[in-house]
Amino acid sequence: MKELGLYLGCVIPTEQYGYEMSIREVLPKFDMELVDLEESTCCGAPLRNVNMFTTMYLSARNMALCEKKGIDLYAPCPICHLGLIEAKENLEENPELKAKINSKLEEEDLRYEGTIELYHTLDLLHDEIGLDEIEDQVEEPLDDLTFAAHYGCNTIRPNDLDRPDDSENPQKLEELMEAIGIETEDYPEKLDCCGGQVISDHNESALTKAGEKIEAVQNQGLDGLSTICPWGHRMLDSKQDSAADTIGESLDLPVMYYIQLLGIAMGIDQSRLGLELNLSPVDKLEAIESIEEAE
Amino acid sequence: MSLIDLTSMAEPDEEQQEKIEETLEGLKEDIPDLCYQCGKCTSGCEAFILLELEPHSIMGKSRAGFIDELVNSDEIWTCMQCFKCQERCPQDLSPVRVIFALKNLAVAAGKEIPSGYQKMLQSVLGNGLIQQPKEVLNRANETRKREDFDLPPVPEPEDMDKVQQILMKATQEKLR
Ligand code: SF4
Ligand code: SF4
Repeated sequence: MKELGLYLGCVIPTEQYGYEMSIREVLPKFDMELVDLEESTCCGAPLRNVNMFTTMYLSARNMALCEKKGIDLYAPCPICHLGLIEAKENLEENPELKAKINSKLEEEDLRYEGTIELYHTLDLLHDEIGLDEIEDQVEEPLDDLTFAAHYGCNTIRPNDLDRPDDSENPQKLEELMEAIGIETEDYPEKLDCCGGQVISDHNESALTKAGEKIEAVQNQGLDGLSTICPWGHRMLDSKQDSAADTIGESLDLPVMYYIQLLGIAMGIDQSRLGLELNLSPVDKLEAIESIEEAE
Repeated sequence: MSLIDLTSMAEPDEEQQEKIEETLEGLKEDIPDLCYQCGKCTSGCEAFILLELEPHSIMGKSRAGFIDELVNSDEIWTCMQCFKCQERCPQDLSPVRVIFALKNLAVAAGKEIPSGYQKMLQSVLGNGLIQQPKEVLNRANETRKREDFDLPPVPEPEDMDKVQQILMKATQEKLR
């Protein structure tokens, strides 16, 4: 049993409940014990736009909470994961900054050393648990489906920091889908941005980004799009209707967190995977129960 | 005219001024001597077509010393933070990081920042998160809350007041 500090960040515990539910449901079946970090806060990454010192303080504080428990940290949000890695690197290179941050953490009896490993959903499933183990747990392979992958910008970039997959040709999400029976296809817009990080101040442009991406996958005739980022999922699934209105197209592409697909293939009770909260038409897919059935 | 002279013209407050100058010193290290204005960053920029962001021109202007103009511009707030510019730059430069630094400078200089970021900061000072737990809809258009799903409470520091005080001070600090 591997213990991991479950660091949820902001978007997941305040609105992307389906991601959190499926994480809590699926990972323990792979011998992962998720330990809540009850006192965690924002990772600080969104505040890079305001004040980078604050970003470093918040990131270090969250990592310190996990260090205190003596376990490694799992951040299912790629933006958090990047923020934490960037802070880790910065603090390692800059002992003075680290000391300054630690003097602030001391007020809460916390101390940041920089000793923990950080995981995201993608590397946790693909590299730690592994494709073989995943295949072993599949009860009903999701055959007859062809999906595309949305990695999210921060999952693969920037390339000067340790990211869960390659920046030019990421394939881990495809491999994970194939392990549960889903066929995959590339599409030219795969590495493009969903617009998620400018949604509050540039709503229309952000929705245009999302809409164009969904449209591209839809026009390729694929059955759906799989996500591993709560910001991306919010744009591509939760806001798919607004994205459709914005670009003036009709969009009806099922969008699902990979871990939801995995849960379904493992035969987990679908009501435990938060599927009712996917607002894209996921019940078009035969494997997905309609809301009435799930109730 | 140096970078610092330009900014000084716009910033009379002395204490604030000192802070900005120090940040600028740091920013200068990021400001590339090596950018040859090839425009590769802009050709792949996610915000170029929709929001007219041109990272290469931000690099050019930074180098030429037009920091004050940039700090006052709306342009720096259109970056989608996709990190493609850095990925594409043949000189291993990072326009996106220069843009982050410029935004930090704008905040430190007391410029009005876009409401989305103001709200995020406000919310973090409140309970530590960029937004409060939301009621969401399901596919049948019914309202759902976090509590409906058998999930533990949203994380929050035990002593949020203390964290808030630390944060208030932290936002006055600079990174370098
Ligand atoms: S890609 Fe690099 S070298 Fe070319 S203009 Fe942009 S920052 Fe300058
Ligand atoms: S990070 Fe910002 S500046 Fe760089 S390519 Fe993306 S949107 Fe453009």
